Amino acid sequence: MNNGKPINEERQVFMYGNEVVVWAALAAGAEFLFGYPITPQNEIMHYWSHLAPRYDRGFLQTEDELSAGFATLGGIMAGACCFSATSGPGTVLFQEPLSMAEMMRIPLVLIVQQRGGPSTATVIYSQQEVFLTAFGGNGEGLRIVYSPGSHQEMYDLTIKAFANAWEYRFPALVLGDGYQAQMREPVTLYDPPRRGIILKPPSPLVGLEGVPGKEREPAHWRNAFSVEEELYDALKPIIDDFHWAAPTLTQKEEGFIEDAELIVVAHGIVGRSAEAAVRELRKEGMPVGFFRPITLRPFPDNDIKKVLHACPRLLVAESAQGQLAKLIRIAVGGELEHSIEMYTYFRPGLGITSEEIMREAKSVINRKREESLSAVLL
Amino acid sequence: MTSGNRRIVIGGEGGQGVQAAADILAQAAFEEGKKALYIPNFGIEQRGGTSLAFVQIGTETVGSPKFEHAHLVVALSSRSLERLQGYMNEDSIILFDSSLLEPPQVSDEVVGRQTFNTIAPETFAERRLTGQRQKFPEMLPKVRAVFGLPASEMAQTKLHPRVANIIILGTVAGFTKMVTLESVEAALEKRLAHKIERDPALKDLNLKALEWGWQSAGRMLEGLVPAGEIP
Repeated sequence: MNNGKPINEERQVFMYGNEVVVWAALAAGAEFLFGYPITPQNEIMHYWSHLAPRYDRGFLQTEDELSAGFATLGGIMAGACCFSATSGPGTVLFQEPLSMAEMMRIPLVLIVQQRGGPSTATVIYSQQEVFLTAFGGNGEGLRIVYSPGSHQEMYDLTIKAFANAWEYRFPALVLGDGYQAQMREPVTLYDPPRRGIILKPPSPLVGLEGVPGKEREPAHWRNAFSVEEELYDALKPIIDDFHWAAPTLTQKEEGFIEDAELIVVAHGIVGRSAEAAVRELRKEGMPVGFFRPITLRPFPDNDIKKVLHACPRLLVAESAQGQLAKLIRIAVGGELEHSIEMYTYFRPGLGITSEEIMREAKSVINRKREESLSAVLL
Repeated sequence: MTSGNRRIVIGGEGGQGVQAAADILAQAAFEEGKKALYIPNFGIEQRGGTSLAFVQIGTETVGSPKFEHAHLVVALSSRSLERLQGYMNEDSIILFDSSLLEPPQVSDEVVGRQTFNTIAPETFAERRLTGQRQKFPEMLPKVRAVFGLPASEMAQTKLHPRVANIIILGTVAGFTKMVTLESVEAALEKRLAHKIERDPALKDLNLKALEWGWQSAGRMLEGLVPAGEIP
């Protein structure tokens, strides 16, 4: 029977990605969704507004994404676990509330289902919102950005976004895409506490008990400062906190690295194509490995460095013009920057199949082999 | 081809029920404990326009949601064919609604060289057949086999215009042999549950359409695929 919990016993279901997000948010204890419609995330609002009354949760459609973002922040400050969802141009408008969340340490959870860009572009799919989610806004990109590669990860990482946003008090984003939003595949739904996942109960930032300054510290949440030193003093500990939390936040998946002559690096749904391609290539005896960053911010710097120390040749595949490739360049930095050999397969706004990755990886490996052969012959 | 996941792409005009058919098939595979993934290809249009649906079912983990080539390409309109051509290769079996499209021009050992086309997209399912089938001008790529099934005509004359897609669903399921007829029936009933509640006659109508499609698949495949092998 319904004991107020959306999920009791674990169950496997066949669902759309947007539906998965809603069940994850319900399971994570989200109480309110403020949102503004934009394809391909509309069904998050549809499913939520349909299910919310059943579990005593709330929904409000605001006049735009700026309003949705600030209403979410307001709700969180008042002590409710709130979240929102958007895409494309909506993600652009969300940068201001996201920046405020960074400055004021407000645990804003935002689901982004990427569509094509720039501007209105397509309602379908892309991986072009990587920089926007990781570094958009005026500030330092003090956010957690998860890039799921399956419906299961969409569920797991949405719950994790809530857990870590509230634990570390940084905005947390789940960066899906139109494909993931609109496709159906199996997923196992579970009640997070039954799997040992701790979700902090929300607590208000304002309207606290007692006389401020006498019985308690004043709740003074600032995003405006008079002088530059004041800002620096306020900001430095936030940046330090982010760096301190980074190693525990980063997440990745990798495989077949050991004897690899080429590492395919991709994230999200393309990471899944990459993994399938690598498994297939291994069956053919090709020495190829894969690396998939699951957190794009903070980026798994040390993990990718280790991989590239073992094999400095990589093929970056993404449905954008090099946004992931740039993150890798930044992560690798210094010592490795000149020794790595980066091949790229960029398809901005276009899906990438495992067959395409197989072809690209094969062509790189064969080219390298021919080169080394001709070097020997010379 | 006998191993690996089956890849199916169904194309038609918005309103022909392409997405519902694909979705029900994937649901049936999931209920049987198979790996399954369904993804629609959607654009900005709310009505009309070409509608493609991609389904992968089998026992292996599904990689990318879309794919380059399909084992089974289903064409319900000529406009969709322009896009479907890209998913055909020499392993592909092509199924088309022969009451809407003239036989395609393909280089195919089974049927030989033929031609194609369709009626307008608006209120497709309700529209009466005009008896006119346009020709499809392009040559299709070399494929494994082509089958025409007069699904719309059958639906309109014997059942109901709206169940043409269910006939196609039955044929697709029968072709791929990845799910049992019973699983598809269950998935179909689940999907139509609230409609059947209002109009119980719908259940029989849809199940008949499904079964007719399923049996047609068996007849069409006779001779092409050795017994016990997956096409």
